[in-house]
Amino acid sequence: MNYKLLHIFRNTPFGRETFLQSLYFCKTINAFPLAYIPRSDKFLLYFSNDAVQVDLDHSYLTSPDTAKSNAEKLFEEMGTKPMFYEPKNFTASSLPDISTNFDYLCCPRSVSDMSSKIGLGHIGPRVRRIIKHATFPVLITSPVFKPWKSISVFFGGSKNALTALTLGLKIALASGLPLDIYTLLEKQDEAYYRELIEKEGLDEPVTQLSRQWFFYEKAHFDTMLYDVPHNSLIVLGAYGHGIIKDLLLGSKMEQIQSTVMNNLLITGPHCSMSLQ
Amino acid sequence: MSTLKKGYSILYQWLFHRDDRLLLIIAGSVAGICSGLAAVALRLSLQTVLEWLHPFRHYGWAFVLPAVGALLSSLYLEKIAREGAGHGVPEVIYAVSRYGGLLRFRSSYSRLISSFLTIGSGGSAGPEAPVVMSGSAIGSNIAKFLSLNERQRITLVGCGTAGAIASIFNAPIAGLVFAIEVILGEWKFVNIIPIAIAAVAGAEVSQAIIPEQVIFNHQTFQVGLLDILPSLCLALVTALVSVVFTKTLQQSGKIARTSSFPLWVRAVFGGCIVGTIGIFMPVVLGEGYHFIQEMISGTFSLGVFITFVAVFAKIFATAMTLGWGGSGGIFAPCLVIGSLTGIVFHKFLLILLPSVGCAREGAYALLGMTGIISGVMQAPLTGIFLIVEITGGYEMTLPLIVVSSISSTMSHYIEPASFYFKDLIERGQFLRPGTDARILSDLNISELIETRYTKVSGNMVFREFIEIIKTSRQNFFPVIDDRTNEYKGMVKISAIRKYVLDPGMYDMIFLSQIMDTEVMTVSLENDLQEVLEIMDINGMETIPVVEHDRFVGMISKTRILDLYRRELIVQTSAH
Repeated sequence: MNYKLLHIFRNTPFGRETFLQSLYFCKTINAFPLAYIPRSDKFLLYFSNDAVQVDLDHSYLTSPDTAKSNAEKLFEEMGTKPMFYEPKNFTASSLPDISTNFDYLCCPRSVSDMSSKIGLGHIGPRVRRIIKHATFPVLITSPVFKPWKSISVFFGGSKNALTALTLGLKIALASGLPLDIYTLLEKQDEAYYRELIEKEGLDEPVTQLSRQWFFYEKAHFDTMLYDVPHNSLIVLGAYGHGIIKDLLLGSKMEQIQSTVMNNLLITGPHCSMSLQ
Repeated sequence: MSTLKKGYSILYQWLFHRDDRLLLIIAGSVAGICSGLAAVALRLSLQTVLEWLHPFRHYGWAFVLPAVGALLSSLYLEKIAREGAGHGVPEVIYAVSRYGGLLRFRSSYSRLISSFLTIGSGGSAGPEAPVVMSGSAIGSNIAKFLSLNERQRITLVGCGTAGAIASIFNAPIAGLVFAIEVILGEWKFVNIIPIAIAAVAGAEVSQAIIPEQVIFNHQTFQVGLLDILPSLCLALVTALVSVVFTKTLQQSGKIARTSSFPLWVRAVFGGCIVGTIGIFMPVVLGEGYHFIQEMISGTFSLGVFITFVAVFAKIFATAMTLGWGGSGGIFAPCLVIGSLTGIVFHKFLLILLPSVGCAREGAYALLGMTGIISGVMQAPLTGIFLIVEITGGYEMTLPLIVVSSISSTMSHYIEPASFYFKDLIERGQFLRPGTDARILSDLNISELIETRYTKVSGNMVFREFIEIIKTSRQNFFPVIDDRTNEYKGMVKISAIRKYVLDPGMYDMIFLSQIMDTEVMTVSLENDLQEVLEIMDINGMETIPVVEHDRFVGMISKTRILDLYRRELIVQTSAH
């Protein structure tokens, strides 16, 4: 299949790291990376029930005259044909509409804040809204380019988690890399989760493609995070709650992303996935 | 408890799911009330700040006031709200035609604040477009909150628009007509009822909060048949003025955009120019409602020459405000320019024919307003109903219709696109429901692609291929590279007859030798109009879709026609 990943290119050393990560992701799963070099500090993403305006910080517009050639060099370094995305439609002259017709989107942890904040484990509100409405998975890269050698799926039994598991299996199939599943036993026992995937018809691919399925008691959440290999791509489902809901109810995604520095591949509530 | 729950569920299904009219009426009323409140808030705050600044206007330094307002407005829009530039109304039309009325939440307040700063300081602009933007965004976000579908969301955008216009002018019918004629572009029964109710709700909000503050007092005019001929002439004049106004606005914006100065510098420059004109001619400042009232009631005291100059001064001041970084709409400037034009025309008429028994100059001010609104927006019904409602001048309906229809027709001859639509037409984004462009843009290219095609290898011997085509109904076979999976070309059944009829060749040729490598291809990035153009130019009935050198599928004209008809039925059905 012709899977496409959209990357918003930032012409800075930090941007180079995230772009390399996107290129590596595409190369590993045999997808096509498309780089968008922004010409204004904002753009719009129109999803089926929301229009998300992404306000970029000024580092995205650094040295616009060298941005394309720098991106091309990185494409070449990874042995990938350079491909750039050009917006066709504009809501206003300085507000391009970016297509949401992609299979993956690469986001730093926060698109609107300076990269210095990212180390603080903060996921920006725009990234949350993108996750909430996107019909495609969102790749949130580690701050430094870090090739991953395995896939770790966090499976909690929800609908989103099932989508994430399907995506993990798909990535494992495309990349040939080993897949591990991590489950935190909150209210149910091991058998419940095994029955669940059997009901969803995922038992066979899980048996074929996964290396190991780890179960942890609820209290051992931090241990589980520590056990995830540092060079593994973490795949998880998220609801894309706003900050207020997260503060009230807590957010696993927030906890995970602020604790581990791995690359994260997140499926939101509108993301659907099949193994075919 | 479960019976109660079941009962509630049945009631909910019956009220809202079986037929969504009640849902749209309730949600539309809420949108109308909220947008009405937004309009009232802007009107009251503008009135307060204009009154507060009035004593300072006669000082020499007062020319900087519009510059300060435009500076703050541009900085707010650019740095705080981070809105793209634009007047607002084209953005709403674009969202309706392209994205099912999806508007950002920030649009529900950002233009209100920026236009308050611009108009309140004396910039020549109107508060109507900002409240339309705000009302539409409120409607869109209510629809988002209720998870409504695209059609329902568009109706609520119309409700927000109607509520805003109805509230600011206390004119519910004009609100309804503007929402349908300008924003939605389609008269559908299912839209009209919720939008009408939203318009009434918006007007009632305005009446309830500020009952004593009617923008224009109702006047009675004696208009007879003698006024019809002058009305025809006035219609031609207003058509010309409309075209001059539209062109000046566009040129001003273009010149401003070519300058390398940042937006705030441009806004300050434009504001200083407006402020300087305003010292000599205060009629150009602000939204100008006060002067319109004077002109309608016949107390406007400027002479014919000064009034004539004021028409062009207002046009220039509005172009300098809106084109150079200020925020606001053209509705109120249209009313001011229209009434000034009407007054000038009436004065000239009396100079040329002193004994003619035509109506008072206030009546001609109203006719002028209708002429300019109809000419600039090319929305004749909005022009007629707005003026009839805001002035209560029902006896003027006949000349209003004459002026409105002729002005909009004549200006359409000279300038085919209205001010609101021109930019969208130039960008190819003016997509009204039921039009060819709209249907094609609504069809997703991925749903047109037929992917069930048997692919063949370039290394395949012709004999093997013969076996494949014996059992296949395909007329085209994409040739793929074995190693890289890349698309290489196409084998057309119609082009290989000579090899089929010669069995001696079966084991001697490979498909890579007979495939057609010159076949035009399209990608998923192309939109349907481009795809059809390529097919027409090359006389193709079917075209391969190739993405990143990989074969995706084929698009056929038959499939396009099939989906086109289905989409047309959806867009033109009563619902």
